[in-house]
Amino acid sequence: MTLFGGASDPLRSTAKRRDDAAPWRHVDLFIVAPVVVLSVLGTVMIYSATRTPIEQSGGDPTTFLDRQLLFVAVGLVTMAVVATVDYRRLSDGAWLVFGLAVVALVAVISPLGTESKGAQAWFQLGSFQLQPSEFAKPAVIVALAALAARSGGEVSLRRVAQVLAVTALPVGLIYLQPDVGTILVFFAVLGGLLVAAGVKGRHLTVLGLIAVLGVFGMFRLDVLEDYQQARLTAFIDPADDLQRAGYNQNQSQIAIGAGGFAGAGLFEGSQTNLSYVPEQHTDFIFTAVGEELGFLGAASVLALFALLVARVWRAARLSADLLGTLLCVGIMSMLVFQVFQNVGMATGIMPITGIPLPFLSYGGSGTITAFITVGLALNVGMRRFV
Amino acid sequence: MKAAVGLRLAVLGVVAVSLFGALITRLWYLQVLTAPSYQLAAEQNQVRLIPLPAPRGRILDRHGEVIVDNRMSTVVTVDRTALDPDHRPVLLARLAALLGEPVDVVATRLDDRRRNPVLPVPVAEEVGDEVVVAIRERPDLFDPKLVSAHQVAVRSYPHGPLAAHVVGYVGEINDRELEAHHGEGYRLGDEIGKSGVELVHEDALRGSVGFEKLEIDSSGRALGVLGRREPVRGSDVYLSIDITLQRSAEVALVDGLESNRARVDRETGRRYESPAGSVVIIDPRDGGVLAMASHPTYDPSEFVGGISFDLFDRLQDPANHSPLNNRAIQGEYAPGSTFKLITATAALLEGLITPQTTITDRGSIRVGNRTFRNAGSRSYGAVALTRAITVSSDVFFYLLGRSFWEEAANREGIQDTARAYGLGTETGIDLPFEADGRVPDAATRRALHAANPDAFPESRWFTGDNVNLAIGQGELVVTPLQLANAYATFANGGNRLVPHVVHRIESSLGRTVFEAEAVVAGRVDLAPDHAAAMLSGLRNVTSSTEGTAVFAFSGFDQSSYPVAGKTGTAQIAGTHDTAVFVAFAPADAPELAVVVVMEESGFGSTAAAPVARRILEVAAGHTEPIVRDLVATPLAGDEEEVAR
Repeated sequence: MTLFGGASDPLRSTAKRRDDAAPWRHVDLFIVAPVVVLSVLGTVMIYSATRTPIEQSGGDPTTFLDRQLLFVAVGLVTMAVVATVDYRRLSDGAWLVFGLAVVALVAVISPLGTESKGAQAWFQLGSFQLQPSEFAKPAVIVALAALAARSGGEVSLRRVAQVLAVTALPVGLIYLQPDVGTILVFFAVLGGLLVAAGVKGRHLTVLGLIAVLGVFGMFRLDVLEDYQQARLTAFIDPADDLQRAGYNQNQSQIAIGAGGFAGAGLFEGSQTNLSYVPEQHTDFIFTAVGEELGFLGAASVLALFALLVARVWRAARLSADLLGTLLCVGIMSMLVFQVFQNVGMATGIMPITGIPLPFLSYGGSGTITAFITVGLALNVGMRRFV
Repeated sequence: MKAAVGLRLAVLGVVAVSLFGALITRLWYLQVLTAPSYQLAAEQNQVRLIPLPAPRGRILDRHGEVIVDNRMSTVVTVDRTALDPDHRPVLLARLAALLGEPVDVVATRLDDRRRNPVLPVPVAEEVGDEVVVAIRERPDLFDPKLVSAHQVAVRSYPHGPLAAHVVGYVGEINDRELEAHHGEGYRLGDEIGKSGVELVHEDALRGSVGFEKLEIDSSGRALGVLGRREPVRGSDVYLSIDITLQRSAEVALVDGLESNRARVDRETGRRYESPAGSVVIIDPRDGGVLAMASHPTYDPSEFVGGISFDLFDRLQDPANHSPLNNRAIQGEYAPGSTFKLITATAALLEGLITPQTTITDRGSIRVGNRTFRNAGSRSYGAVALTRAITVSSDVFFYLLGRSFWEEAANREGIQDTARAYGLGTETGIDLPFEADGRVPDAATRRALHAANPDAFPESRWFTGDNVNLAIGQGELVVTPLQLANAYATFANGGNRLVPHVVHRIESSLGRTVFEAEAVVAGRVDLAPDHAAAMLSGLRNVTSSTEGTAVFAFSGFDQSSYPVAGKTGTAQIAGTHDTAVFVAFAPADAPELAVVVVMEESGFGSTAAAPVARRILEVAAGHTEPIVRDLVATPLAGDEEEVAR
């Protein structure tokens, strides 16, 4: 099934007496370190963005801090677990995982799910909410990578159609919630995987054209609700519509711009303290970084993400097999797209879509999912010699 | 194979690097290149300027008695335009609970259709601090976009409607005024002077608005005060009005009209209507208005907090005799025999007569095919100027009117003299909407005919017109103020002054920023012996047995306070005569000139002169000042409302 070595490769398994190929010796600390730093920074910024309004309404200002710390702890453990089980064995169960994800996505739009902020996207579990579309991300990455890896570097049109069909199922279900942002993440993952898997240039061109036409079609054919269109187009001229769709974007740019080069200082941001940016602890967490830590802090966050992405890219490149490469490409595509879309939205060069910033945005499902995907990348990277 | 994968990964790497590059570039732009503008926006985000209204300046009488004052009132307003019908019952219930009033009472105020629909409606006035705190602290219950509690300085009137027409009233600025005052810092909802001194001296009275700079969070909650600029109170305006005389004039007028309604017009057998009238008292020495009354009157406090459309309409309704009109400067009346001052002056100036010229008054004269008679068809026999004035011999003045048109070098000498006394043009008093009256001559006759041939079928001026004019009838109309000013001109020796009601303006720091002075607008030069002859005639009106006002002044001690006066009875087609009386006193060194005009009230001698006498008693110190609270004149329909 694989052409590039594997657990049974005789050359590698017998090369050294001391087992230098043991996976635990190859855990990439340059992946673990940025993830830990970003997670810790995230909890601090979430605290900064939430403490004043909670205090004003008489609550415990550390409510969100405590919960996010819990999510990070669960995420770290999950990451370790995901890294432990060999990805080749994991991918054998890819269709089981994918099936579970689809079932969860069906269940969430049934009466079992809970509606909030105009989308039926959550399961309410006590005081926690579970967002299946987040967990569907690694499931789809694993499924698509497993499917595409079967082609062995020459992807037929038939295979392309299979890949598209596998993507279309969760995308369709998520569209029913609806959650346009997550759908875009799937498209980014799909695009990255198709390129890396070796889809012919002309097929890619046609798919690209279809994607462009699709975006236009969404607007033309009124597939999107008015509020969705308004949010998506407000970034073109936010000043035009300050009180409605453009309000978030305008306020988030004010907060980031007001931070300047050095920032207002941690817990010192006036816009953050006075809650001017809606959803600041979730999708707009980057504005708290921008205002309080300035260009230095915001650019450092991007640098940490860049380091993480570069190491995932390295894992893809050094992977022992095409499956590992494609897994890492999917993860990398997801990370790059979410960071670019989220920070781009906060800085006003991308439209508003509800996509969290991995490791920084508040939220259990998003945070744990981010750890799962990074665990997968660690998994591939540490097994490059076995 | 491996190489192909590497190439594809390189492509993806390049894409990732460019996307990160784009983000860093954008951050650099926002946080370094354009950061100052965002810092400014952030600062403005959290600051709100709350205007602190400046109390208007006060309006006081010449002695410092406050006629118009201010008080602070806290009002709760609701913006009906922003109120969602679904939210309405909830908000009403919350407001009712907070104000401690039944829901339907609050609802009635909210729905008051008399209120301007686009401006926030006051649902409670004069509320306590606890209400203000409750509203400010709970934006979750009382949406700041909908409900507001704020202090407003409102006008208060310690003397009620006293001098209402002089001081005027204030109201919310309208679109037209906003445009006219563009760039002067007015905002929708501000108060502005609408009439009287409030309008004319708006700039001085207004003061300058202060601001409180509040730090606010995104939900509009005030977190603290960042700064404050205190409002500066407007300047105080001191009127030339003497509150004692003003009150006496108003009471005497309303009493005079009232008692006259009990009297019957012998010609028609009907009671006099006496619905309206006016009194003006000016100081002939400097042109200062000492009192100015107009009846019916209104209560300017009705305008505080916004007057209802309905009441405003009724206050302007001619069926109610337009209480908002200031008849002293807007009412135009035929002056009747009081005009004889002008005719006599004209004849003396033209040399048509001397004080000694005597004619025989047989009770009437014929001009062309028309007979002009004395009032009551009486004949006075041999009449010279002084007696002609005292007894008000029409025949004497008819002859002068005829002579002017038929014999004089200046055929329009009467009109020219009338204009020299200030008739036919605005006096220039510092009050708005002054009427100019009309001095008719061949030119105005042609103009009237051209403008409205049906009402004025004749386009030429005849001798008969001049005869009519000579006794103050015909198309001649004057305002009470013009008439008072004409007599003041005669009284002070010929200087026609520009009358004024504002004596002095004092800034809130106590500095006098304006002081009225006598402004001479024209002169009437009479030879001293001519003036003396006329003065004797006017003196005798109130004091000789033949005088037309002798009954009205019987018992009035003239030894220390001699009164010169003239009665007038102007015929109005289709209704009762206008009663006019004009006087100045003390006759030898005049300190005031007074005019009383009463509509549909009959003779000047019986209706108007007693009113003037009552005022002059006060001015002379013969009687105590009249002390009585003034009330707004009831409007037709008020009883109906009470009954409902």
